[in-house]
Amino acid sequence: MAQRTSKASGRKELEELIQTCNSIESRQFNPFLLDVSEALRIIRRHSESWQTLQDNLLDMRAITSLARVVGLQSANLRFQSSSLFVDPGMVKQKIGSMSREQLAELFLLSWHPVVELEQLTDASTKEALDYWQQMLSFFERRKRLAAGPFETPGSMDSPELARMRVLEEKAFTKRLEEMRMEMKEKAGEERRIEYWSFVRTSNFPQTVLRAQMVSFLISYGMAALDRKKEKMFLIPRDPPFASRQGSPLSYPIPITKEVVLSRAK
Amino acid sequence: MKQEQSYYPERVKRAAHLLFFKRGRVPGARSWELKTGLGKEYLKVLTQLDESLKDLDLEVKKVESQVLSDYKPGLDGEEESRYFVRLKGTLTPREARMTGWRIDNLAALAACLSLIVSKQGKSERKELEEAIGQKVGRWRALTLTDAFLRSGYIEEDEEGLVKLGWRTRAELDLESLMMLIAESKPKGVIDQESEGVTEASRPEDVAGEVEAAELGEDQASTDA
Repeated sequence: MAQRTSKASGRKELEELIQTCNSIESRQFNPFLLDVSEALRIIRRHSESWQTLQDNLLDMRAITSLARVVGLQSANLRFQSSSLFVDPGMVKQKIGSMSREQLAELFLLSWHPVVELEQLTDASTKEALDYWQQMLSFFERRKRLAAGPFETPGSMDSPELARMRVLEEKAFTKRLEEMRMEMKEKAGEERRIEYWSFVRTSNFPQTVLRAQMVSFLISYGMAALDRKKEKMFLIPRDPPFASRQGSPLSYPIPITKEVVLSRAK
Repeated sequence: MKQEQSYYPERVKRAAHLLFFKRGRVPGARSWELKTGLGKEYLKVLTQLDESLKDLDLEVKKVESQVLSDYKPGLDGEEESRYFVRLKGTLTPREARMTGWRIDNLAALAACLSLIVSKQGKSERKELEEAIGQKVGRWRALTLTDAFLRSGYIEEDEEGLVKLGWRTRAELDLESLMMLIAESKPKGVIDQESEGVTEASRPEDVAGEVEAAELGEDQASTDA
């Protein structure tokens, strides 16, 4: 009875050891967290009591896992002594504190892109031709998919396509112009209107759509965005519009449901 | 010697063809391909080609199968190395646009690679996406990680860990990148040091940066 209990606890210990080794291998823990001599002592302590194939396989798995961790420890030491060693925490901190431009500049100083030319070759053309010739017809391939009877193509009119959102009801430029006129009207004599009061509606998707249209108006120079402290104002412009009047800057404005609701209040 | 001079130019041309023209998914040529195409002395031919390419700011680069392998020994030796032609010098930010990568993407790639290197060549994908996400937003981080995987800068192994890909080994001077990142200072510190003026950065810029960084899940955004 005592021997059986000892075997069960031995198996448990080995399974735990294997699990720890696997976690180390998948980079969840530092390889030096495992005390190798203690692990070996556990393996040795139980090695004589294993009799079945299963138990011996478990023992073997434990030894192999431990060997891999020792390998990782060795690699870790080699890496730490190499010039590539930098503490991951420090790297994260550095990356976080640098601007995107700074990071890109550092990258460019170490980047030597590969030069490659893509072209059609005799071999690739022949391969393509063979593929085309061996390919079954559309109807043959369709049979394999068991897609059921083939429906003959029908027709749809524009309102139906617009309802399915395949086709726009109005031309994009026309919608932009309407949006500009609406902005101009709402701006009135002040000639400017607060961004959120213009963009916001009670409907969230509609708000996002209006914000998108406003971003196009600003990019095309049909309106300007003026930022004063925490507030943003839209200023409608009159034609003629020149592309150079458009904003060269990209300014992200987050639109969350909470923001829309809080501003609606 | 005379025989060598008449013998090399033809082979140098052939070597250039083998290295420049992409035949498979990965550009360049493997050592056994070069050996078959150029003969046993292919290394001498490549040295000659390298000399000729110097004037064009290009060079022949040899990449071993696994430069940053950990405990796995790998199959070292000539059979496993691959040769590429790459830029010898570096690109300016303006020139870099011609490569098709946006500055934001290059910044994300720098962050991604430096993190992997600091973790000894392997890192969890989620951790990388979080680090990139802080710079470019969560959704963009997901698509960029996929783009880096597709282009060969990183590879995902069977355990789901991300490691450096063949393109990184071919194109990046990782030692220099890690050194530059370790020595770098935040933009504000550089400005203060260079100007000698302790002027705080404009609150609008900081707010813009913070807002850009905070774009995350369940958020729509619009570039105005």
